[in-house]
Amino acid sequence: MIHFNDVTKVYNGNVKAIENMNFNVEDGELVIMLGPSGCGKTTLLRMVNQLESITDGDIMLNGKSVKHSNKIEMRRNIGYVIQSNGLFPNMNIEDNAMIVPNLLGWDRKKMRDRFNTLMELVGLNPDQYRKRFPHELSGGQQQRVGVARALAADPPVMLMDEPFGALDPIIRTHLQEEFLQIQKELKKTILFVSHDIDEAVKMADKIALLKGGQMMQYAEPAKMLNKPANSFVAEFVGQDRVLKSMSLYTVKDLATALTLKPVSESLEAQNINENLSLRVAISKLLNQEADQLIVENNNGTNKGSITLDLIEQFLHREIKESV
Amino acid sequence: MERTNKTIALIIKLIFWGLLAAFFVWAFTNSMFSTIVEQPDTFFRLLGEHVTIVLLSGAAAVLLAVPLGIFVTRPKFRKSEWLIIGIANLGQTVPSLAVLALAMGFLGIGISAAIVALFVYSLLPIIQNTIAGIDSVDDDMIDAAKGMGLTNSQILWKIELPNALTSIIAGVRTALVINIGTAALAYLVGAGGLGVWIFTGIRLFDNAFLMSGAVPVTLLAILIDYLFKWLQFALVPKGLRLARKAQNS
Ligand SMILES: Nc1ncnc2c1ncn2[C@@H]1O[C@H](COP(=O)(O)OP(=O)(O)O)[C@@H](O)[C@H]1O
Ligand SMILES: [Mg+2]
Repeated sequence: MIHFNDVTKVYNGNVKAIENMNFNVEDGELVIMLGPSGCGKTTLLRMVNQLESITDGDIMLNGKSVKHSNKIEMRRNIGYVIQSNGLFPNMNIEDNAMIVPNLLGWDRKKMRDRFNTLMELVGLNPDQYRKRFPHELSGGQQQRVGVARALAADPPVMLMDEPFGALDPIIRTHLQEEFLQIQKELKKTILFVSHDIDEAVKMADKIALLKGGQMMQYAEPAKMLNKPANSFVAEFVGQDRVLKSMSLYTVKDLATALTLKPVSESLEAQNINENLSLRVAISKLLNQEADQLIVENNNGTNKGSITLDLIEQFLHREIKESV
Repeated sequence: MERTNKTIALIIKLIFWGLLAAFFVWAFTNSMFSTIVEQPDTFFRLLGEHVTIVLLSGAAAVLLAVPLGIFVTRPKFRKSEWLIIGIANLGQTVPSLAVLALAMGFLGIGISAAIVALFVYSLLPIIQNTIAGIDSVDDDMIDAAKGMGLTNSQILWKIELPNALTSIIAGVRTALVINIGTAALAYLVGAGGLGVWIFTGIRLFDNAFLMSGAVPVTLLAILIDYLFKWLQFALVPKGLRLARKAQNS
């Protein structure tokens, strides 16, 4: 869907912000661009909708060069969300959210229906907020409207620049989870900027880790954590990277890869649902709540048990496999 | 704290209105407005001239200064700001009397000289407030608008101007209120206006002439001030008004 072909960006003739960038974002993928401040994430994002020009190379959006597309028309087909939400204080929430449909000339009825659908989707009551103004909403609510506004004309592609970066941690976690649910349903192609490894691990299908305008590694979160491409990646993802990766696997993943142990009568036991993460499992085992966990599926059927050594075996296998 | 502030504001207001009432009682009992009562036709003619000078010069200034302010804030033409502000500044730094004299030099005696002089005099505050208003619009907001595919003119009309409106109206208000006072000088270039009575009063040491000219000019200025407060209320989008209120409280 989005192809970066040898993209280079030079500001003011000397600041090289992006250097020979090559990677693809496939249909329906959520790719997070991650890296320290100033590494070029925002620049790369803004070249896609041509808010920044491309110095060299090109970006293909659905097979079309963004350089040669009609900017206005193209931008109306790309959702855009920024950290400071950028809502317009002179317009009420409905007019804010429906600005692109309005530009596209939708009729009233269609806009109203769309507004109602979107507000439900982002968890706000449409009738309660329709006539309110941005400053009357909390930061979290404003950013929800920001997301609704970007989704308004149902664009296939979304660009999001640290959309949850300005929110306090609890609200941020909420919005991340809600947004993942929305993405599960809508399957947009999303390019998302973040500087938070935990956010990236939690949300991304793939992570693009940048440093000084260059790609350090482009991989699935589990792979990046278990098999960092170089010492910069290893340091950036953190020394607890293996523990972080545990939240990416479910008990079911382990049960599929390895044979579960028979339930032992002599060990202290507890039940665990197979859809929970290995992180929960290991925490329970370390907690000494139990020495073995009896795995059950949603119907409560017992499928065998896991212990700490089985988890260790699984991790070694994963780390080797992703070589 | 809030309460004491409100009480103080109320007391100041009461004192102000009290003094004003006392002044009018004094003025009426000493028949200070006798000139108006004796020559109503002349009064309305002078008032009409005064208002015409102010409104025509003000309207012309708005028609030129607002577009100029918009022009200067377009990124492409930003470099022209110093030139335009410089020229407008010149019109403002030169004393109003000199501007009037210059205008008379070109246009001769009469109302057009006064209108042109006040027009020149009004440009700067309106241009400056237009620029300040547009500059105060949050860059992220413009960025979001661009990113969603608004054209430059849509950004101007839907985002920049509505958000700059409070400041623009404030500029026009300042210019007009000043002009109502300055228009009293129009008499000097033979353009009439209430200045005729004021200057007659000064020359003849006649308080009745002086007051009959000066008090209506003052009331006119207050009236225009209120009119623009109302205009601001009527024209500025509700969301912005509420946002400002919320910020101040
Ligand atoms: N408009 C600009 N003009 C000049 N340099 C810029 C501009 N925008 C960004 N840069 C520079 O480009 C580099 C990358 O910036 P940016 O893409 O904003 O990084 P990030 O979003 O990863 O923090 C930085 O060195 C920054 O100073
Ligand atoms: Mg950035």
